[in-house]
Amino acid sequence: MNRFLKITGYTIRDQMRHKSIYVLLGLSIFFVLMIRGCYSGQYVVNGKQLDNITVAWHVSKIVFQIISSGMFLIVILLSMKIFSRDHEDGSLVLFLSRPVLRREYLLGRIAGTWVLCLVFMFILHATIFMTVWVKTGATIPGYLTASLVCSINLLFIAVLVCFLSLYLPDFISAVFSVGILLVGYISDGGHQILTSDILRTAVPEAASAPPALWRILYPKVYMVQVYADSIIGQSRFNNMGPLHPILNVSFFIFLITALMLVVFNKKEV
Amino acid sequence: MIELNSVTKKFGTVTAVDNMTCRIEKGEYFALLGPNGAGKTTVVRMLLDFIKPTSGSILIDGTPVSNPEARRRVGYLAEDHRIPSHLSGLEYLRRHASLNGLAGKDARMEVNRLLDVVSMKGREKEKSAGYSKGMKQRIGLGAALLGQPKLLILDEPVTGLDPIGIRDVRKILERLRDNGVTVLLNSHLLSEVEKTCQTLAIMNNGKILVKDSIRSILDADGTLEDVFIKYLS
Repeated sequence: MNRFLKITGYTIRDQMRHKSIYVLLGLSIFFVLMIRGCYSGQYVVNGKQLDNITVAWHVSKIVFQIISSGMFLIVILLSMKIFSRDHEDGSLVLFLSRPVLRREYLLGRIAGTWVLCLVFMFILHATIFMTVWVKTGATIPGYLTASLVCSINLLFIAVLVCFLSLYLPDFISAVFSVGILLVGYISDGGHQILTSDILRTAVPEAASAPPALWRILYPKVYMVQVYADSIIGQSRFNNMGPLHPILNVSFFIFLITALMLVVFNKKEV
Repeated sequence: MIELNSVTKKFGTVTAVDNMTCRIEKGEYFALLGPNGAGKTTVVRMLLDFIKPTSGSILIDGTPVSNPEARRRVGYLAEDHRIPSHLSGLEYLRRHASLNGLAGKDARMEVNRLLDVVSMKGREKEKSAGYSKGMKQRIGLGAALLGQPKLLILDEPVTGLDPIGIRDVRKILERLRDNGVTVLLNSHLLSEVEKTCQTLAIMNNGKILVKDSIRSILDADGTLEDVFIKYLS
């Protein structure tokens, strides 16, 4: 456990050395601060002026999802090169020539990358939360909780990319991961649209058909985002299938990690 | 100290190590010689559990190499030794110390001692990207000597070193030998092997062709170069 924590710490430090992290953090905070202007504007809808709090609430929900999606890309970029970089720069030999279990190395590298991205995302979400509070005096309940909920998606992506990178070149593993996420987004997003109130009214028969089994079993990254959105909006969450998306994604994290441990244990260094 | 029992390693259809049985005793200074592709590095990598043997077993001090504890008192210097470029020599050694179970004051003292031993004091805080090959090799040797190992596995340890560096390494290794540390040395520098080693094995095509004390081998066959050529021609 001690070595696992040490490797997690080393990973956070190693990943933070990349200048791109600071560039991305700076750009993200700049973007987040730029949209402060949205909270001070005068918005009129159907002749009725909207109050700042309503605008802030809606904008913050949208920005929440933009930040989360952006973080998916960042975690892919950080995860795809973990093993290849360690192999090239001698870090793999550094760790494995010492009394370090292979699973400690593997889990430590993944955990470090995940924790760094989680903190990065939380800082950005917290910036929005604080901006809304300062600008409007109102807080968005559940905003920070939703950020922590979305971190499970970051872990899933980190694990997925790392696993694929054991078999595929870095860039291809990143592209594959994006592809897997996109399929989920399109599939689950389409289901959300079909079961929306507007479409139910317009085309009742479209919403009555249950989703195909593969769509229920597929990693529910998008549905976790929808769940997080429901926490922010304190609205009802319409699940797709019997299993909660958090449990679905957790299952896939566990499954892929177990596979990765088996594969990496036999891998030649 | 090291036992290889009927160890075979195949990479597809290529047999890199062929049913090798070998024993290296505690305190022995053992050289493994052979041409390129003989299987020497494969043996070293199996000792460190970087690769698994196809069959057979390998023990270090009675512990299977698959158990990470076998590596606790093992120091290793790779032939193509690399240091992550973002780490300084000091940070690199500290990581090794920490992963080997040293902490706090003990780790700091040990790292300082090793920086002295390998003559890298004064350059330890620079990033390794700015080190020469010889400096990286010195830091690598320092990492291998960390924690006063009982077994030292050195793969071409003097690569990149100038004659003074080679002499310094030889002195370090002689001191270790006199202190009863077991050393397994892969080297193409026959002159260094002749000066320092007690036991020698020559390997080719995955098999050990001869294993004996260096004195016996040289008494029978003259220089090490003659021995090398005799068994490999």
